[in-house]
Amino acid sequence: MLGLDQFIAELNKSISMFLPETALVIAFLVALLLDLMFKKSKNLTGYTALIGFLVTGYFLFKQMNMQSTAFSNMFVIDQFGIFMKWVILLSSIGVVLISFFTNELYEKAKGVGEYFTLIIGMAFGMFLLVGSSNLIIIYLAIETMSLSSYVLAGYTKEVKRASEASLKYVIFGAVSSGIMIYGISILFGLTGSLNLFEINRFLAANPVNNFALFLSVIMILSGFGYKISAVPFHFWTPDVYEGAPVPITAYLSVASKAAGFAILLRFFKVTFLDSVPGNDSVWTLLGSIDWHFVIAILAVLSMTLGNLVALWQTNVKRILAYSSIAHAGYMLMAVSTMDDAGVASVLIYFFMYMVMNLGAFYVVALIANNIGSEEIDDYNGLGYRAPILGICMTLFLISLTGLPPTAGFIGKLYVFSAVVKAGYIWLAVVGVINSVISLFYYVKIFRNMYLNDVDSNKSKLTYSPASIVLLFVFAIPTLYLGIFFNDIVKWASYSANIFMGK
Amino acid sequence: MDLVGLAFYFLAALIVISAAIVVFSKNIMYSAFSLMFTFFGVAGLYVLLNADFLAVTQIMVYIGGILVLIIFGVMLTTRITGVDVKSNSLGKIQVGIAGLLSTIIAISLIVVFSSTKWFLSEPKVSGDSTKLIGNELLTNYLLAFEAASVLLLIAIIGAAFIARRK
Amino acid sequence: MSEFLWVIIESTIKAVIILTLIMLVYGALGVYLERKISAWIQNRIGPNRVGPFGLLQPFADVLKLFLKEDLVPTAANPTFHRLAPIITLGVAVAVYAVIPFGDYVTIAGRNIQLGLAPNANIAILFVLAMTSVGVYGITLGGWSSNNKYSLLGALRSTAQMISYELSMGLALVGVLMVAGTLSINQIVIQQSNYHWNIIYQPLGFILFLVAAFAETNRAPFDLPEAEPELVGGYNTEYSGMKFGMFFLAEYANMGTSSAIMVLLYFGGWQTLVPGGWFGFEPGSIGLALLQFVSFFIKIEIMVLFFIWVRWSVPRFRYDQLMNLGWKVLLPLAIANVAGTGIVSLLLK
Repeated sequence: MLGLDQFIAELNKSISMFLPETALVIAFLVALLLDLMFKKSKNLTGYTALIGFLVTGYFLFKQMNMQSTAFSNMFVIDQFGIFMKWVILLSSIGVVLISFFTNELYEKAKGVGEYFTLIIGMAFGMFLLVGSSNLIIIYLAIETMSLSSYVLAGYTKEVKRASEASLKYVIFGAVSSGIMIYGISILFGLTGSLNLFEINRFLAANPVNNFALFLSVIMILSGFGYKISAVPFHFWTPDVYEGAPVPITAYLSVASKAAGFAILLRFFKVTFLDSVPGNDSVWTLLGSIDWHFVIAILAVLSMTLGNLVALWQTNVKRILAYSSIAHAGYMLMAVSTMDDAGVASVLIYFFMYMVMNLGAFYVVALIANNIGSEEIDDYNGLGYRAPILGICMTLFLISLTGLPPTAGFIGKLYVFSAVVKAGYIWLAVVGVINSVISLFYYVKIFRNMYLNDVDSNKSKLTYSPASIVLLFVFAIPTLYLGIFFNDIVKWASYSANIFMGK
Repeated sequence: MDLVGLAFYFLAALIVISAAIVVFSKNIMYSAFSLMFTFFGVAGLYVLLNADFLAVTQIMVYIGGILVLIIFGVMLTTRITGVDVKSNSLGKIQVGIAGLLSTIIAISLIVVFSSTKWFLSEPKVSGDSTKLIGNELLTNYLLAFEAASVLLLIAIIGAAFIARRK
Repeated sequence: MSEFLWVIIESTIKAVIILTLIMLVYGALGVYLERKISAWIQNRIGPNRVGPFGLLQPFADVLKLFLKEDLVPTAANPTFHRLAPIITLGVAVAVYAVIPFGDYVTIAGRNIQLGLAPNANIAILFVLAMTSVGVYGITLGGWSSNNKYSLLGALRSTAQMISYELSMGLALVGVLMVAGTLSINQIVIQQSNYHWNIIYQPLGFILFLVAAFAETNRAPFDLPEAEPELVGGYNTEYSGMKFGMFFLAEYANMGTSSAIMVLLYFGGWQTLVPGGWFGFEPGSIGLALLQFVSFFIKIEIMVLFFIWVRWSVPRFRYDQLMNLGWKVLLPLAIANVAGTGIVSLLLK
């Protein structure tokens, strides 16, 4: 143990590096207190959340080039983490803004005080997860974000399907985190440490039983896989996405997934990277287990199952849920390359995915505000009843498919090129076939909006000017990033380097 | 066999048998109560490992807290609303598949546990584990400690929100 | 092996002595005092037939309980119905494993501790753990009787006990912060020369006292067995010695709570008058006896207080009880912990 003075010096340093997370915790507590004190005001905690996120952004901005560990190697600050934290933070802000325009929340739930409070808490859990380098923190962070999301998914508790979604989410979540902590205990038993850096050093120095290692990592993967909704840990996804309020569905599909991918990448690189060869950009992995193949299998399963099942869905939220499983598959494809190009492509993909997916869900929320339904048949003729929504939805759908000139195209381009560069041609072929399949169900939404029920004389949809402004906040970047993507790509390549400790 | 070995096998048998009752009993009240013996057995194992603080905490948290609430819930649902909570609502096929999967997992776990060379630290003789745990929690594991407090706060808020009347 | 054998013999003798003491002092004396004092407060005479001043009345009571028929209701769950009183009494007695009744005596060169395991590192936590297990006896008893009064009593009792356990534990934290140890004997030793912890922890003591009343289901918190509403609460369907065990456990618990309060706040076995007055050496039998007697006098004063409160304060309503527990005691206990921390930091 360190001496007390030395420890306090260390602690002060750690705290100064923990400012973004601290800001989130403070915002969380302030929101909680304000909600207790001012019961009547409608969006007070929402504004608190926004302010908290902005302050967090300020501290995050000041950390931009930092690379260090804090709290006795439990927490890592590096460019990779900061990129992911930006994705989480921006999508949190987006989700709070979307929530302001979601009637469902204000009509079906009693008060939205806890809603925004829990969103801040969830953001804190995700920040913690992105930066954690200790299995205990990983577990705690996953539980923090899970517990908030369980409640958020069932926030409109008068709605039956929301309660059902919440319950299913809790049960699947409990099982997967139980399996995960079992895996953690086996890994601890093998290596005698919970710290990823130390586990890495131990694995480099000592041979361990491959079967036990494989089993423990697969068990831990079930926790991560649950967060990124990769097949076969995806069972909760469609029901929860369908039942939860739209902003929460969007949040789960972007931020929660980003945190899951961040920890997946960090876990694999930090635990299994053989640092002896010296060249970190192409990872040489420890041990004789072919992790590339394991992840590639997950990727293929997720893409294929997600896309194929999406074909039969009739609810737009369910379509987007299965599409999000498929997107997890595309990104897992890039993860399976296990090199820095792959990491960079995941980061790029996430940035693009954030913009277009939030946008798509926002349109769903706006339409649901008016027609009170998310069934695909109710979308008939909406292209004429709500021209702006229709155009924007089309844009987001094109982007989700991955066609130029949209952001989604750039994301897919980099993912596929990383996969091909790493030599997994077969994987890239599977990915391309899947993209083609996905076109079908995205077009189905488009077709219903523009080609069905053309001469309907139903009334036009109404929406406030502010909500249209927010829609453009998502739509313009989707187009812009499809054309001017250099800055993001540069930033992502710079951030692809995951910190390996001293 | 020495006394510690004897105690271990007794506790292990207690844990396994009562855990089996938890799983297989048709009466959910029996399940809940035999869970108590499982927890006691685990606490006993901690005592054998010289982790006295952990043992007592196990009893306080699991037996005195969590299980009481579980039993509370079971009592309220079975007797007061007249609904019999039973755990035999599964079909034969589901039981078959679940049994098969569990067997596979159990066998692979047994193989792993018996064939693996586990990491062994040097045995440390320490009288007062409480102090060590306290020091570690507030120094090396400070972040975990604080993160856990936020986690619990979120859990409380969530529980209060769900339980609140409309 | 002889050392091991010796430990077993020593522990057995101690256990027998302690059990006898509990039966006599808490069971017999407690019941006698309760009846006499309640009579005195209500302007009655109380037991005066069996033995001088009715002193043998408790033994007659126990004899009666032994001779009574043991009834188990048809609809009851017989296993749990039998198990419940055993758990309740067993847990109540188990706490005495870690309670020191005095310092030590030196017999034939051996320092013998007065208590089974008074130096256990985590004694206080053990006490709390056993209290929390005590809930099961009552819960099981109420549930297995298959009677709605019993079940309601059990539910009330469970809710009450887990609510007040929090304040109880937090109130203890104050003492632990002052003492810096979880070993009860160490805490007692630190209170020598009349530096009793009550001086440093007055609020903590009051909180603990109130919580102890609730934990032992004594008036004014005796809602689990509130006669006008619930007949007899969780023990409605019990008769004979099984009822006797519940009854004894209640008095044993009262004694335990008093003992814990004395140990933590009133110097435990520290003598009421300095042992030097009689020229007792540390380790001598004389000093041990003096400590033992001092300890029991303190406990009996606490027990008298329990009885006094029971016969003078009316019962709470259930919502009042819960409000008091969660909205008054718990915040106060947290404030007490914070205050103790700040003060000890400033004094450092």
